[in-house]
Amino acid sequence: MQAVKVKLAIAYAGLGAVALGIAVATQEFPPLRDWAPFAVVAFLTVYHAVEVNDHLTASPAAMIFLATAVAFGAGHAALGAAAISAVSPVTKSDIAERRVALSVINWGQTVVAAVLAGFVLEPFFPSGAWSQRDFPLVAAGAMLASMVYHLVNWGLVSLAVRIVYRKREVRPWSRMGSILRSTVVMGFVGGLLGATYHLVPVALPLIFALFGVGYLAFSSLSELREAQEATLRGFIKALEAKDLYTRGHTERVAYFSQLIAERMNYRGTRLERVRWAALIHDVGKLAVPRDLIRKRGRLEDGEYEQLQVHAHVVEDLLAEVEFLRPMVEIASGHHSRFDGGGYGGTGHAHGNPPSQEARILAVADAFDAMTSTRSYRVALSQEFAFQELRSNAGTQFDPEVVEALVQSVVESGERYGSPNLGSEQAARLIAEGKGRP
Amino acid sequence: MTRFRHLESVLWALTMLGIAFIGVGQSDSSLAALSIAGVLIAGAALITVPASSGNRFSLALAAATAVPLLIGPIFDFGGAVGAVAVGFLSGWVVLQLFGSDEQLATADSDFLRQSFGAFLFAAFYVALEGAAGLWIGPAGANLVAAVAAALVWFGFETGAWALTTYDRVSRRYLLRLAVEDWPVAFSLFAVGALFAYVLPELGWWAPVVALLPYSFAHIAFFRSHLARVTYSQTIRSLARIPEVAGLSPDGHSDRTADLSVAVATELGLNPHEVRMVEYAARLHDIGRITLNELNIIKVGFTDDDIARWGSEIISEAPFLTEVAALVRQQHDPYRRPGERKDPDLPIPSKIIKAASAYDHATSELGFSTLEALEVLHRGAAYDFDPDVVEGIRHVVMLGEPQR
Repeated sequence: MQAVKVKLAIAYAGLGAVALGIAVATQEFPPLRDWAPFAVVAFLTVYHAVEVNDHLTASPAAMIFLATAVAFGAGHAALGAAAISAVSPVTKSDIAERRVALSVINWGQTVVAAVLAGFVLEPFFPSGAWSQRDFPLVAAGAMLASMVYHLVNWGLVSLAVRIVYRKREVRPWSRMGSILRSTVVMGFVGGLLGATYHLVPVALPLIFALFGVGYLAFSSLSELREAQEATLRGFIKALEAKDLYTRGHTERVAYFSQLIAERMNYRGTRLERVRWAALIHDVGKLAVPRDLIRKRGRLEDGEYEQLQVHAHVVEDLLAEVEFLRPMVEIASGHHSRFDGGGYGGTGHAHGNPPSQEARILAVADAFDAMTSTRSYRVALSQEFAFQELRSNAGTQFDPEVVEALVQSVVESGERYGSPNLGSEQAARLIAEGKGRP
Repeated sequence: MTRFRHLESVLWALTMLGIAFIGVGQSDSSLAALSIAGVLIAGAALITVPASSGNRFSLALAAATAVPLLIGPIFDFGGAVGAVAVGFLSGWVVLQLFGSDEQLATADSDFLRQSFGAFLFAAFYVALEGAAGLWIGPAGANLVAAVAAALVWFGFETGAWALTTYDRVSRRYLLRLAVEDWPVAFSLFAVGALFAYVLPELGWWAPVVALLPYSFAHIAFFRSHLARVTYSQTIRSLARIPEVAGLSPDGHSDRTADLSVAVATELGLNPHEVRMVEYAARLHDIGRITLNELNIIKVGFTDDDIARWGSEIISEAPFLTEVAALVRQQHDPYRRPGERKDPDLPIPSKIIKAASAYDHATSELGFSTLEALEVLHRGAAYDFDPDVVEGIRHVVMLGEPQR
């Protein structure tokens, strides 16, 4: 993978250099004294880029590139913006993690995007001195240039991801789509501010202040995501501390739920929500008295109800955290049967069919329960688990979900549970030390 | 009847009306320009954004920055002040008629504070612009004057907010908290000033140029607000888990947290430290959820075990590592007999230790306030930090912590 990365870095660097060369050949450099402040601000913004999620860093740099392009106007736009993107290549985390190839790839693609955006702007600039009446046309140009910049940027980034990681789909980067929309608007705003600078140069400090405001928008986004993830991690850790059996179980259920959900074409937030619901699905256990959790054998009727009451207390507690509420609903619905029987949790009255997310969680939970060792029996075989799920499909489980699980587990080639252990009875006997292992 | 209920607000409204009449009467700006300015401020006053201290800033800060800059310069101070008065008055009336109860709760003091802040700004701007014009010439004078006047306004806003906000914590602490709101105030001033600068050149494009960036800021501040709410909701729910499981006494973490925060502000800790104290105090017993484990029931446990398990759980959340360290040290004594005091023991841990002991004495042992203080005093300089004990005495003798 390293070799591919280096080759790609050389290719992108070449592309960037060519674009820069064309800009140098066809355009004039803007006055250095006016250009330098923009360069400094752009460098700082990129350097302090915010990590939006894994390795996707975002900054309002596009806003500054477009502001520069518009500010320096006809004959300077592409070169001015490209030079700025060329001198602000690295983020703080690039340096900390020594991501040389990645920085070079990024350098190439931003320079290309900036040059193209600059050339798109050219025809929108009025010839001669600007007046208030030219503003709408320049604004329209800024919008178009921002779109071009981001399309080129997005295309080159996904191409790089596809080549380096050999994935047809850019899943970890799937959030980029939603970020893209707001960055296009931000680029447009950058263009407007650039035009403002051109008409009212005194306002420069205020324009820079607004760049700072744009930066704030990104940092608050990552702050919010961090708050939400930290929340979940806190609860899960609390759960694990309580019960050793749970450790691993939640993670496996989350993994199976994700497999199923991906096969059923869940994407983005919806997929994430299923995964998170799986991670908290057992949190109700936190308040269950120890003798009930560790009980060997089946629970009696009264005990079963007691378990539910305790589980609901914690679910209500979790539902106090606003953003967790949809996930708590999924998690608390996962004990409901497909045909509407069984008990439900918050928002799931008896007899109501559970949501599809809850049905996914139910199958994932049951599959892991069968293929992992419990206090009263050892793990059953994978085939037995499939058979059991299929025979209960249509009543307890959703048939579509069961098939999705079976297919994706078989396709992945992974195997779960003990090989050749095909009956509940035998598994119990082994656990009690009476059977043949 | 919750609307128009406070006499002092009605007096304020009448004052505004007076200022508006005098100001507009003196003005040589057109009535149309003044009414547009008034409507601008009134509309802006209805849009508010939450800041980290709990104060809510309104967009009126931006509008009331722009108005004196546009129609104020030297020749028309009366017009600027009159327009500001008309704007705030009409915004207030609209809010009284159509506002929700939540908005009405703080509306009176907010409008009082903001309107006088705006007058201060206008007065300082006009005075400073004249002075700065003599000193550095007219070109940059209005920008320098605007920045200086904005600083004065921000100082007034934070100071007045800290003084008029009712809370269990000290005024000095509220003031430090309010100063942390500067990014919100900064972006509002910047947007207002930009609007004023570009309006003569860009005309109808000026609102777009100024308000589109502001909308980003608005969303950003709301997101930060959501993140803060999420943190605090999470910590409250997590802290309640041992309580609903019957492993620690009901309400203990809430009461300990309230007392700890009051003591921390009393001892002059900074806002960040106070936040850490609050989180650590709420979560100090989280380690108790492990008490269900069978082997623990058999072997037994010490207070130190609870602290260790608790900090292990908390350290899983990256934003809480600092809190985990505080929880880890919650049972360490101030000084062991025959030894010197431990200089590295953090004050927050010492506060939580004493506050938790105080709540244990009053809530579970049924001690009176004085008896519980007696317990703390007997342990002072050994179990408890004498300064912290003194802080608790101050807080509980002044009345139970509020909220």
